[in-house]
Amino acid sequence: MRLLYLIKKEFIEILRQRELVFVMIVAPVIQVILLGYLVTTDIKNIPVNIVNLSSDKATVRIMNRIINSPLFDVKNIFIHNIDSLEVLKRGDVKAIILFRDNFDKKKSFKNYPETQILLDGVDSNSSQIAAGYVNGIIRNFIIDDINRYGLSPLIRGKPLIRFNPRLRSINYMGPGIVALLLSIIALFITSLSLVREKEQQTIDTLLMSRLKPIEIYIGKAVPMGIVGLIDMVIGVFVVVLWFDIPVRGSFFYLFLSSLIYLTAILSYGLLISVFSSSQQQSLFFSWFSLVTFILLSGLFTPVENIPKGMRWLVDINPLRYLIKIIREIFLKGNGIEYFYRDLLALLAITLVISSISIFNFKRFISK
Amino acid sequence: MKRIKPVIRKEFSHILRDPKSLIIIFVMPILMIFIYGYAISFDLDNIKLGVLDYSKSDISREFIKSFLQNKYFKFVEVKEDEKTPDLFEKKLKRGDISEVMIIPHDFSDKIKEMKSTEVGFIIDGSDSNSANIIYQYNEMITFNFIKRFQDLDNILKIHTKVYFNPEVKSAFFFIPGLVAVLLLMVSALLTSLSISRERESGSIDLIFISPIKSHEIILGKTLAYIFVALMVETLIIVFSRYWFGMPVRGDILTLLAFSLLYIFTGLSLGVLISISAPDQKTAMLITLLVTMLPSIMLSGFIFPLSSLSPVLRGFSNIVPATYFLKIIRGVILKGASVTDFIRDGAILLFMSIILTIISVRKFSKNRDRGT
Repeated sequence: MRLLYLIKKEFIEILRQRELVFVMIVAPVIQVILLGYLVTTDIKNIPVNIVNLSSDKATVRIMNRIINSPLFDVKNIFIHNIDSLEVLKRGDVKAIILFRDNFDKKKSFKNYPETQILLDGVDSNSSQIAAGYVNGIIRNFIIDDINRYGLSPLIRGKPLIRFNPRLRSINYMGPGIVALLLSIIALFITSLSLVREKEQQTIDTLLMSRLKPIEIYIGKAVPMGIVGLIDMVIGVFVVVLWFDIPVRGSFFYLFLSSLIYLTAILSYGLLISVFSSSQQQSLFFSWFSLVTFILLSGLFTPVENIPKGMRWLVDINPLRYLIKIIREIFLKGNGIEYFYRDLLALLAITLVISSISIFNFKRFISK
Repeated sequence: MKRIKPVIRKEFSHILRDPKSLIIIFVMPILMIFIYGYAISFDLDNIKLGVLDYSKSDISREFIKSFLQNKYFKFVEVKEDEKTPDLFEKKLKRGDISEVMIIPHDFSDKIKEMKSTEVGFIIDGSDSNSANIIYQYNEMITFNFIKRFQDLDNILKIHTKVYFNPEVKSAFFFIPGLVAVLLLMVSALLTSLSISRERESGSIDLIFISPIKSHEIILGKTLAYIFVALMVETLIIVFSRYWFGMPVRGDILTLLAFSLLYIFTGLSLGVLISISAPDQKTAMLITLLVTMLPSIMLSGFIFPLSSLSPVLRGFSNIVPATYFLKIIRGVILKGASVTDFIRDGAILLFMSIILTIISVRKFSKNRDRGT
């Protein structure tokens, strides 16, 4: 019963801060939409230069295919050689595609140009993809062309893309954004909650009350948990409706895993709150933790190839498990039998964080 | 000008009096470079490949072998009697494999007769970028394999040459980027508290009634931190150079000169936030938001700017990190020279001047109102 009053008080405190209400209800919608556009990572419009030193008619047709492709943004076409190194150094184009006549003595029956792709390797990911695209365009052109002479390559790969057939990056990123959003809101607000009371010295009133430490703890966590879940629902709906992302799996496990994750983040936030002596410090720590959680979660970059020495950092990162589970539910429609291990790991981490957090909270209260 | 010096000296004593913050300012970037330098990577090696070989012939085994001879693919062993499409489907769903290769039973016969045959590749498309690269690898390796039987080599002549990063490692792409992100964050954080602190403690009134002009105060506050920020930068670059072996190909003085402009932009941004925010907490929160998110998302730090939508690309033009990222990657990794980046440097300078002018005007207004 006493607990209920505390929860009510915490709720009033949250709702009294108008800007906080804005942060919790309106901001998620804007954030999800904005982030959705930001993390659309389809590599396209790669800026390139073309140098055509070839006299083949085929070259012109290959060039047209490159120009008409949405994958490339052809900046300039030269018909004389250029200083490629200098151009790439300036960084205005990512690649230079150079066509030359094929002067091989052992010429085949048909003339195709010899192609050279000069890449700016700094952004290894984009340049690899760019090279692949050029290769693909030219290969497809030649295969189409020699087909007319009854010739074709012996083996042709027949790809079948599962789970995301149109290869939309938002389908992969969208669900992750919801997890991201959940973390940002929950961590910042809880990490400030106790410190604020410390700074305003209202903490003493709370300590004088007959509430047990664990009751105070729950009273602090529950209202934020409810707010977090509301945000989760908003986030999921915005992502699904605005970006047209299919949800193939069960909503039940989506919310169950989010709830477990939310518990972990809330306990972590309260832990930061216990240790910080000013709101500035707690903001700083939450920020640092959040960036670490995000960058090591597999949201933006794959985590499979992280070196062994750093591996454990990924393994103890609760966000990583949530993102993995959410993606499986959204994209693959997986049931619990596929991700129970991740769910258990997430649960274990949550229990550890919560215990540490409650332990320190009790010690802090009794002091 | 003579009155700027005392302002600088006063700020310096502020810095020295608070060694705790100073340590955080120096330790945090190193820690972040250390963790993220190891952790962030796009490199896609060891793609988990499952194989359903219905042909079970010498040629099909050769074909599979050609996929495993490079570092891109890793074979996922499955017991012979469990090799069913169902099992592979499950593994694909669980993420234990990323691709299944299906070789038809008439594979070797067709090839011996020099007839065309197809090999199926089922790719987990969840991560569209990885799926794209996997697809390219398939095509490349398959084509190289055919060359043993067909003389297609002379028809398709494509040579690829990679400049600046021949091993195509993404670490060297991220580390200079991290330097840019951290540098802006640190320099803006340094100054973001400088005025809001005075406002909270009430000492701002003393500054208001002093004979020092507004622009002198603003410049003094900005300049005091240039030295600290430059030290942080040197520390980060030296650490990246010697710990991660980041190649520094360009002229280090060129880099320092441009960094100075960039730091100046960050510091002026911090000052402006400091003037606008009601208290230190808000100032800090705004600084983190304004410097961190756009520098990571809108500068080309992780994803190339060219794939952003036009509106967002427009926004990226007002993010200082966009310009510095281009400069630092150019100088460090490509050995580019000053002349390549005059335009970018000029934009950074322009930004800091604009920010400072707005700061001075805002500050004078506050001064008149006494708030």
